[in-house]
Amino acid sequence: MIDVLFPVPGKSDVETLVAELTATPAGGPLAVGDARMRAFLTAFGARLLSPAIARRHPELGSLGFFLRRVELARALDLLEGEHLRVPRGLVFHVPPANVDTVFVYSWALSALMGNRNVVRLSPRSGAVARTIVETLAKALRDADPAVAQTQRIVSYDRSEEATAAFSAACDLRVIWGGDAAVTAIRRHPLAPHARDLTFPDRSSFAVIRSAAWLGGTDPVLAAAADGFANDSYWFDQAACSSPRTVFWVGSAADTGKAHADFTLRLAAAISSRGWSVDAAMAVEKRVAAYGMAADGAGESITFHGNALTDVRLSAPSAMPRRWLGTGTFAHTRLADLSELVPLVERKDQTMTHFGFAKDELEALARALAGRGVDRMVPFGSALTFHRVWDGVDLPSEFTRMVTVSAQAPGSAARRE
Amino acid sequence: MSVFTLPQEAKEAALLPQLAAMTERHRRDCEPYARILSATGSAPPYGSVADLPWLPVRLFKTHELRSVPEEQVFRVLTSSGTTGQRPSRVYLDREAAATQTRMLAATMRGVLGERRLPMLVADTRAVVRDPTLSARGAGVLGMMNFGRDHTFALDEEGRPDQEAVAGFLAEHGREPFLVFGFTFMVWLYLRELEADLSNGILIHSGGWKKLAEQAVDNAAFRRHFAERTGLTAVHNFYGMVEQIGTVYLEGADGSGLYCPDFADVVIRDPDTWQEAPVGAPGLIEVVSTLPTSYPGHVLLTEDLGVVHGVDDGVWPGKRFSVLGRLPRAEARGCGDTFGAAA
Repeated sequence: MIDVLFPVPGKSDVETLVAELTATPAGGPLAVGDARMRAFLTAFGARLLSPAIARRHPELGSLGFFLRRVELARALDLLEGEHLRVPRGLVFHVPPANVDTVFVYSWALSALMGNRNVVRLSPRSGAVARTIVETLAKALRDADPAVAQTQRIVSYDRSEEATAAFSAACDLRVIWGGDAAVTAIRRHPLAPHARDLTFPDRSSFAVIRSAAWLGGTDPVLAAAADGFANDSYWFDQAACSSPRTVFWVGSAADTGKAHADFTLRLAAAISSRGWSVDAAMAVEKRVAAYGMAADGAGESITFHGNALTDVRLSAPSAMPRRWLGTGTFAHTRLADLSELVPLVERKDQTMTHFGFAKDELEALARALAGRGVDRMVPFGSALTFHRVWDGVDLPSEFTRMVTVSAQAPGSAARRE
Repeated sequence: MSVFTLPQEAKEAALLPQLAAMTERHRRDCEPYARILSATGSAPPYGSVADLPWLPVRLFKTHELRSVPEEQVFRVLTSSGTTGQRPSRVYLDREAAATQTRMLAATMRGVLGERRLPMLVADTRAVVRDPTLSARGAGVLGMMNFGRDHTFALDEEGRPDQEAVAGFLAEHGREPFLVFGFTFMVWLYLRELEADLSNGILIHSGGWKKLAEQAVDNAAFRRHFAERTGLTAVHNFYGMVEQIGTVYLEGADGSGLYCPDFADVVIRDPDTWQEAPVGAPGLIEVVSTLPTSYPGHVLLTEDLGVVHGVDDGVWPGKRFSVLGRLPRAEARGCGDTFGAAA
């Protein structure tokens, strides 16, 4: 038996649950962009934007923003093309335990595309996940019954049978989480036609043009430092998109000055936000930074209080990709942006940037030619979810295309 | 010869030059340690013990840190290590191994006297027979050196062996005897003993976490045994594999843990990293001259503690308590970042 959290809290078994989902709703099967689902998602998003929720869990405000009517419409518009879009069918979502909101983005886009969805929430999910489920239940009161019939949020602790059964039943399985979690879930076979969409461990970095930083105006630099702090500290720098290494591009002299100014402004931004780290985190950071020094990767370590630790790398190739504790940044210098190319790996996801023009970034993306880096976004945007994520167009992935060609009877006959 | 003799000022004066010299020796002989000192800008002269550069103790889990060539390694000690974590590895050469044994014995003599005493172990003999010796087994085995006529309070299956305990007490109960066990084992298996233990000397260690869940603290523990069995010579101790041979021993009056002459503690404020004043809790830094074959002479633990007083107890020097363990830092984020960080 597994716990059902949505639409009606209770217990169920996988077979019953899949059978319920498979039945055709009273008003007909869900279509891509189904009006019943759009109304529900918009109502849910509006509730997330209510001051009471947004104050308690600011990340739910971002989610509410993502679910606005115009945003949903835009996601649908972009699917217009020569092929007809239909839902994939049953989508099984396995989000990570430690990021409470990511499952909603993935589920909401899938629901918008008319899919039947099962989301497996970890029993270790936190307060934010509970708020989300409660808010979904409230929004359901005014929704068409088709919503409740086609959507399930369940929770169970390491039930191999449940994961196996949902895997066998689904048309698309969406796995968010660590490499180990992805590998573990992939042991359960899918139906022959079904496929996986995986979002494994990723790592991110920042790039700053030293001369641009030195030439920046006070408000621009303050805003950049604040954006960088947001990108980094919001999820304890453990989000895939949070930068861990800062590459400075420019001369040694410029970089020295720019880095010093950046540090001051970042420290100010952190303290004005009231962000700090506790003793356990401070020790974690010491272990990580000292470890980098012991390995020869870190040449010098500077502590600016417990909240901000700078590690100067012995070489750009020593860039760390693992979590080093909240507020630990590895710094290194490149003479030119193109020097990034050999350093980048498939694991690298987001490159936050300051001081580069769009054509330079596009040139870099072309030169990378798929080695890695799926997003190049300005400081402050690292954590902003987009329907294209990890290089994957989610609305497109959540649909199938039907080729409809109204050919003349004669041409059809010729093929035979 | 007791090893609890030096008042704080004399201890500092004696330890500082030795520890400073050890820092430079480890810098010369342990490349990763030298890199850490260089990256953090640590250089002599050091004005006090608290000024010496410390290593986070967890580095012994993540890195191979030794100051002797591989062929001179005589023993590699490993810690139990909680699930999912790599154990610590501590490298001893012949000399360091001999010194730690000798100094541990000297420390224990301070409360046990010169002769080996009959010994009651609050554990099962199976724990020392396990071929993959656990930390608990190693602890019992190490302490068995200080006793004779070892009797185990639990049988091979781990069930209380009342007959064995009664036999031990009938034979040895009228003269001084040693009782040893891990704190929670002692509480679990000896607390309901209806016997006269007034000639016993209890040495126990392992932390209070499991007892704290039952709301039993050191004072309640001591009171219980004193009232029920007459056992008052109770000595908790604090130590870790990363500073093997150095134990911080509780005074018989329960006034706190004391540092042997070759060791000290510094309580650090985890915000400023400066030494915390007497009475203010902080992270425990353990300092010892014993780790000569690995750079473990100044270690920041993940234990919280507080110094209650200096030169004001049954033994000279700092008098302190361990308050508990720092929780492991957790982060929100995508994926199993914890696994990647460990």
